[in-house]
Amino acid sequence: MIAENRKNKTARYAMAIDVDRCTGCGACMVACAVENNIPPAHEGATERKGITWIRVFKVNSGPHAAFVPVLCQQCGEDPPCVHVCPQQAVEVDPATGIVGQMPERCLGCRYCMAACPYHARYFNWWDPEWPAGMEKALNPDVAPRMRGVVEKCNFCHGRWHAARQRAAAEGKKEIQPGDYVPACVEACPAGTIQFGDLNDPASAVAAASKAAGSFRLLEKLGTEPKIYYHSRRDWVRGIADAPQPPMGKENARG
Amino acid sequence: MHTTRRDLFKFIGGSAVGALFTPAPWRLITDTALWSENWPGIPRPARGEIKTKFTNCALCPAGCGVRARCVGEQPVSLAGVASHPLSRGALCPFGLAGHHLPYHPERVKAGDAQGAAAAVREAVAKCAGNERIAVLDLRPGRTASWTYRRALAGVKNGLYVAAPQPLGGWAVDLAKARTVISFGVPVLDGWGTPGNVLQARANFRLVQVEPVQSRTAILADEWLQVEPDVAAATAIVKERAANGPVLVLADWPELLALNQPGETIAPRQEAPVPDSWKTAAPVTELSDVPNASIRALLIDESVPGAYIPWSEIETKLVRDNPMVVAFGPSRAGYGRHARFTIPTPVYPELTDDIPPAVDCPGTAFRVSAPLLPPPGGVVSPADFIAGLGGLDAANALRERADAIHKSGRGAVFTYADAKSTPVKELQPDDFWKALNEGACWIGNSATMPARSGRGPALPREPRPLGSGHQDSGFTVVFTGSQPGLLVSPILSKLYQESNLRLARNGAVLHPDSARSCGVEDGSRAFLETPLGQCAVEVALDPSVPPGFVQVAAGPEVLDICGASLRARVVRA
Repeated sequence: MIAENRKNKTARYAMAIDVDRCTGCGACMVACAVENNIPPAHEGATERKGITWIRVFKVNSGPHAAFVPVLCQQCGEDPPCVHVCPQQAVEVDPATGIVGQMPERCLGCRYCMAACPYHARYFNWWDPEWPAGMEKALNPDVAPRMRGVVEKCNFCHGRWHAARQRAAAEGKKEIQPGDYVPACVEACPAGTIQFGDLNDPASAVAAASKAAGSFRLLEKLGTEPKIYYHSRRDWVRGIADAPQPPMGKENARG
Repeated sequence: MHTTRRDLFKFIGGSAVGALFTPAPWRLITDTALWSENWPGIPRPARGEIKTKFTNCALCPAGCGVRARCVGEQPVSLAGVASHPLSRGALCPFGLAGHHLPYHPERVKAGDAQGAAAAVREAVAKCAGNERIAVLDLRPGRTASWTYRRALAGVKNGLYVAAPQPLGGWAVDLAKARTVISFGVPVLDGWGTPGNVLQARANFRLVQVEPVQSRTAILADEWLQVEPDVAAATAIVKERAANGPVLVLADWPELLALNQPGETIAPRQEAPVPDSWKTAAPVTELSDVPNASIRALLIDESVPGAYIPWSEIETKLVRDNPMVVAFGPSRAGYGRHARFTIPTPVYPELTDDIPPAVDCPGTAFRVSAPLLPPPGGVVSPADFIAGLGGLDAANALRERADAIHKSGRGAVFTYADAKSTPVKELQPDDFWKALNEGACWIGNSATMPARSGRGPALPREPRPLGSGHQDSGFTVVFTGSQPGLLVSPILSKLYQESNLRLARNGAVLHPDSARSCGVEDGSRAFLETPLGQCAVEVALDPSVPPGFVQVAAGPEVLDICGASLRARVVRA
């Protein structure tokens, strides 16, 4: 949307995820890994030690089930991970509202992982390795991270930079909606994920954030996440409050 | 001034404390971290000119349009082609990482092609009158399939065997269905052309009938958690037929026969071929081949297609020293049973065409043009088999494209500019160039036959439904089949670093079922049938009903299951 309609000049990028549309295919997870040069699993990696910046969980409630993509929730002004980082390796970009991680500053203390209520941060337990030759297929816009640092979703910040460069080359001062889209949004075959600027009242994501049936995960914590979920089903909306898993075990499958 | 040793220590201590309040240590940490970021063990992505190329995905019969972002000539990411008339801009997770396949650690890059050719020629020479030299084509309908048929027409006792087609070779028109009743078919989990299915989804009511909670069952409008027999299944279909055209999807012939030709199904149509090709060997189904009659069998699994359990193939081979050659990128499939495994190019190195998918009622022709050159040592199965028959098939794709152009039918949709151009407005060279640079030819839509037309062709040996639990063990339910023998290593995000999909060696049981056979979550076990056993890793899931075992449909599991849907789980 045109800049005049915006509340202010900075953006506040956000996502709206329609849980009712997600088919659980995993295209978002694969597209994310390809875009951000996340290596294939080390032999010893499990669902606890693996790196998936976005992960689709299968959530069961009796005979019903739903697929819920979970990624860094891009908390508001004062994210817990920013608060606890002794290295200032996490910060909120005032121009975009994106909570960014700078691996070159990270000491690997993992305080941020402990502080994140969404378990959306991942530690590099091993050096990144690709099968011989596959390193040729790495994305040149993203640097691979080393062992011993934490990483997480940054809304494909490399794409934001590329969009800014393109806009500048075309003589534009701002990125137009649609010019910057994270890889998971682009890859979703079901159109489950919408992406845009919350400060643009005309954007689809701003409308979706206010729609009936919209909810955010663990809203009671006051982290002000910028990932909005939507479902018409009451029990799906109920998972936002993180009730105790019925099996007493986290992540039974999915 | 007298300087004592104490002063020296005080100075050193004070300097150390004072240094903490300067930027120096922090700068040191940052520089160290920056240096460690450039650790020589961490690969540096190549840089170069960014280009966009277009092609079609050859990993499954959907043949989705692909937009590849390349650094120089190297593809670094793949995405769907927006506004594509068939794939609707979608790409599945396997297709999104298809550019990693050439680097798969399990890929076979060398094989004895000359030895295989000599062995096949020797087998041809020794072939008795009632013995056959056969080619088994797992994805029939391609130009390569025509090459096999043409070549076999010139080989003594040559026989072309095609893998069974879904729905007996009929195509479905999802846009015309008001209700889709699926008996265990993964409609919303990679079946047909995923983008087309998801777009048509808003217009039909989906009833999923299966005992296990699959992805499709979760997303269906109605999930009937039953394992019906034929009579009950027929009743389910008839009950819902009042709401408009019904499409029945099933693996069983009795249920497929409930479809009304002319409503939601139509015969699948093939793109035109040159007239000179029509003298090729006929298409034979494996079930029509007499037992113990194939002297030499060449299996093309270079592109993912249907997998026929080895036990069904083995019965067709002669008893004394049959010769089997598998053409594929890995030994994980029929290469385990073959005397020779000949390495082939993989997507996106191969040049192949993609026949219309099961949900494409019209004709279509797409070429999977290579994004990368194939390495030395790999062999195109079409070239190999053409050589046996003394056929020059190097330009077969071009000849086919010229035949399509000559027909003057349809239009070509080019991906780079998202434009549709009638074929009549193009020169043959332009048509061929467009196909190789990313395009899709769409012929005229299917003409629906009369309502009283013949229904889907039925497989010869129907598999019984609701066969009951006559023997010990569990009912096997297949899920999450991966296209082909190789998938990108990055797919570990889905089956190792999360549990979104079942790994090839995974088996899921209800906790009560696991208890009954003495296995636990994460333990090793064997899946055992009368045909053999294979190792699996057990996972527990209460959504799998007791008495069932959910497994991924990999070659090892399919081989031991054969036509049986029962297996025991034995603790390793």
